[in-house]
Amino acid sequence: MNKLELLRLEHLNKKYYNKTALDNVSLTLEKGRIYGLLGPNGSGKTTLMKVIAGLHKQTSGEAYLENEPLSYKTKGNISYMPTENFLYDSFKVSDAVKFYSDMYADFKQENAYALLKEINVDTEFRISKLSSGLIGKLKVALALSRDVELYMLDEPLNGVDVLSRDTIMDLITRSCNENKTMIISTHLVSEIEKILDSVIFLKDGKIELFGDSEELRTAHGMSVEGIYKEVFRNV
Amino acid sequence: MFNLIKYEFVKKYKLILITLISSVVLDLYLFTKGIGGSSIFLVLFPTVMSILYTVDVIKMYGDDINKKSGYMLFMTPNSGYKIIVSKLITAVIEGLAILLIFFIFILINGSYINYLSGVNINFNDIVYMVNRLMTGNLGINLGHILTFSLTGLLILISFFTTVYTAMTIRKSIFSEMKFGGVLSFAIFLLLNWGISRLSSWILDTLPSSYNSFIFSDLYTASEWFRMLLPANALSIIQSIILTLCSGYLLEKKINL
Repeated sequence: MNKLELLRLEHLNKKYYNKTALDNVSLTLEKGRIYGLLGPNGSGKTTLMKVIAGLHKQTSGEAYLENEPLSYKTKGNISYMPTENFLYDSFKVSDAVKFYSDMYADFKQENAYALLKEINVDTEFRISKLSSGLIGKLKVALALSRDVELYMLDEPLNGVDVLSRDTIMDLITRSCNENKTMIISTHLVSEIEKILDSVIFLKDGKIELFGDSEELRTAHGMSVEGIYKEVFRNV
Repeated sequence: MFNLIKYEFVKKYKLILITLISSVVLDLYLFTKGIGGSSIFLVLFPTVMSILYTVDVIKMYGDDINKKSGYMLFMTPNSGYKIIVSKLITAVIEGLAILLIFFIFILINGSYINYLSGVNINFNDIVYMVNRLMTGNLGINLGHILTFSLTGLLILISFFTTVYTAMTIRKSIFSEMKFGGVLSFAIFLLLNWGISRLSSWILDTLPSSYNSFIFSDLYTASEWFRMLLPANALSIIQSIILTLCSGYLLEKKINL
């Protein structure tokens, strides 16, 4: 095992009733990097994240975090932000913070309150009354207030206005260090390109391209967004 | 485990408050209708609460396993076994709380009915009745009540584990099939059919002293306990096996 290795996926397959969502995905992700998981809708990004987060089980193949097979135990070292609004509607924002604090030993409640203040989310608001933009910011703040090795943000910029996108990007970059790894899935490539160390292109459940962002830019003579358009032009 | 149970109640505290306040308001309203009104409440309350309770316990797991809000629970580093057991404990606590509230209503409405009918409640009479109950002079005693309560509780738990297992099978082995709700119900019926066939077969093979249920108040509590022992043991074994199956499927096969 590589000293920098954090997550290892070996021949991961995920089949649904009549559809293959992940097709023989093998990857090794290193510590301290920001990975962009890029692909159009239906390419398998969310499925891959849900398998790693333990919300879906792979049909075949193996997945390891810090060399340990994925299980409920590894959930303690993964902070996953689903793209859907998964927060209990009846909760106030402060209840959601308390829930995270009670359920995750690594959750930093003070950090969460500081982040929520910074992004102007009123903690006394009921979640059912929040706009989709505020829910997006709240989800990111909760996910980033955990102190874990792997963060996975599924479409963190979806439904968020342009100004708030900058705030979220800022939160993400500030949360990274050499011990933390981040996987960000998005189809808004141009918005997020500047913070990505590596990119994974997923097409029809298969890895189409995987590599260091800078090396890919040099090799292709264009931005990651340009490569993305090339790869997915006919999808 | 404590946190899992705590948040089950946090999620539904409003529903509990609304139900409790509505019950009190309805009871007060029926007080104005005299003895008939108070008596109707004592029939209405357990009937409505049994339905609400069953729906709530099924929904407690169904919502987590079928809705996106279930991610809140299933992303936490808790094993599937722990999650299922915490739901069952919550269901039992909720059931006992409803039973307790019903007894309080019986006391209040009973006193009110006695007051309206002009019967003076004598404290000594109550003590006398309790004494008769404890000594078995009423035909039943505390032992009977505990024996039947235990059986009732075990039947309830085995029913909920069957429902939960049906839902878990649907969200794991058959997760991508259409008509989820109907399929869950079909699996539930199938499980119940299989379990009842197995139970009948096991009980039929036992000596007659363990399976002859002739309802009579002549049996002592210990005799009842002995007669109900195989059925209780089966309920326990069934609940444990189904809980382990659900926990395993949540760990190894789930697709939320």
